[in-house]
Amino acid sequence: MAIEKIARKIPSSLWTEASEKLIDITLNSPNAARMPSELAKTILYYWQRDQLASEIGLQRLLEASMILEPEKTFILMGELGLPDLVVMLKGTQE
Amino acid sequence: MAQFGIEFVPRDLYWKTTFYAIQAEKIGFDYLWITDHFNNRNVYVSLAIVSAYTEKIKFGPGVTNPYMIHPVVTAQAVATLSEIAPGRVVCGLGVGDKTTLQMVNLNQERPLRTIKECANIIREVTSGKNVDMKGEIFQLTGVNLNFRATNPIPIFIGAQGPKMLALAAEVGDGILINASNHRDVELAMKFIKEGAQRSEKKMSSLTISAYTSFSIASSYEKALKAAIPVVAYIVAGSPEPVLERHGISTAVSQQIREAIVHGRWKDAFSRVNDDMVDAFAICGTPAQSVDQIDKLLKVGIDQVVAGSPIGPNMRKAINMIAAEVFPHFKSYDG
Repeated sequence: MAIEKIARKIPSSLWTEASEKLIDITLNSPNAARMPSELAKTILYYWQRDQLASEIGLQRLLEASMILEPEKTFILMGELGLPDLVVMLKGTQE
Repeated sequence: MAQFGIEFVPRDLYWKTTFYAIQAEKIGFDYLWITDHFNNRNVYVSLAIVSAYTEKIKFGPGVTNPYMIHPVVTAQAVATLSEIAPGRVVCGLGVGDKTTLQMVNLNQERPLRTIKECANIIREVTSGKNVDMKGEIFQLTGVNLNFRATNPIPIFIGAQGPKMLALAAEVGDGILINASNHRDVELAMKFIKEGAQRSEKKMSSLTISAYTSFSIASSYEKALKAAIPVVAYIVAGSPEPVLERHGISTAVSQQIREAIVHGRWKDAFSRVNDDMVDAFAICGTPAQSVDQIDKLLKVGIDQVVAGSPIGPNMRKAINMIAAEVFPHFKSYDG
């Protein structure tokens, strides 16, 4: 399943918390240099417009987080109580 | 109302610097300064992308220097930025960092004359004039840009010593006092007033800024850990009168300098003590930061620049400033 579809399964009640934590994972990643520049610019676009806690913003953050820190992303989804998403995200790596 | 600036060092990936710049604008910083060292990412490229993702924050090099970059090139760069972000561009100018200049065999010769001529060139060239200048340092013949800066670009001079502070008041629209401690700033104000008097300027026409080393965190210890490397460099590079004013031994300064030169970081950083941090940084919890900023504002500062490291975690530090520092000094409209 594509990251976009997986991100849509995050309940809206968790969007703010998920967004905040995905931003932290992304900004603090020692693998930050792996971020594709086009994806970075899309995230900046949504950040400027306060849309990183929206469905479309979360899609891009989740994509970035999976590129930079897949293991931390799995842990975060587990902490958010979304074990199904962990399975789906792991599936994208196969 | 007090103004606040923030400094970013483009050592970080461009998108991280830009992310923090957007965050700084959102929470209400008035100015964003990006440092200019050839071994980091280019200041104007960094500022150009910041300008594309921000709408109101003022920004500029903080600071560039005329030894590495010819003033006409600086004029060209800030004029171009001004086209992208009209009315938001400022130009910070100083003598540069001795260590990085020496890497390319440049010396900070005749700093006062060089800065004075440089400021004049940038002002004249960005105003659209055809410039002829027979200076002692720079000579220009028929220099003009094929485009025009959309607004006047305020020039801020970075200064620490008495003569440069006075010159900054004479030729600058603003001054970036390289100091974090209110005692240093209070002394600096005396020389700034002298410069303003010499050029018959009103002090109120100048934007006087304290360009501080700033580290904020939930505990003093966490803030301190981030501040120590920066303070070590400041102690190592501070002139004797400044060290004496803060009761810091020149011998210890020399030891730190030697440790840094030889890459003995642990040795250098272990010699930094609380007195040095107090002298050269705004460091601590939000309440401690508020107290130190308040002291700076009371001696006549218009803008407090939060310079490196900002805090052990940049995003958290900026949010902490928004939530726990700004409300003491400005209305929060984020």
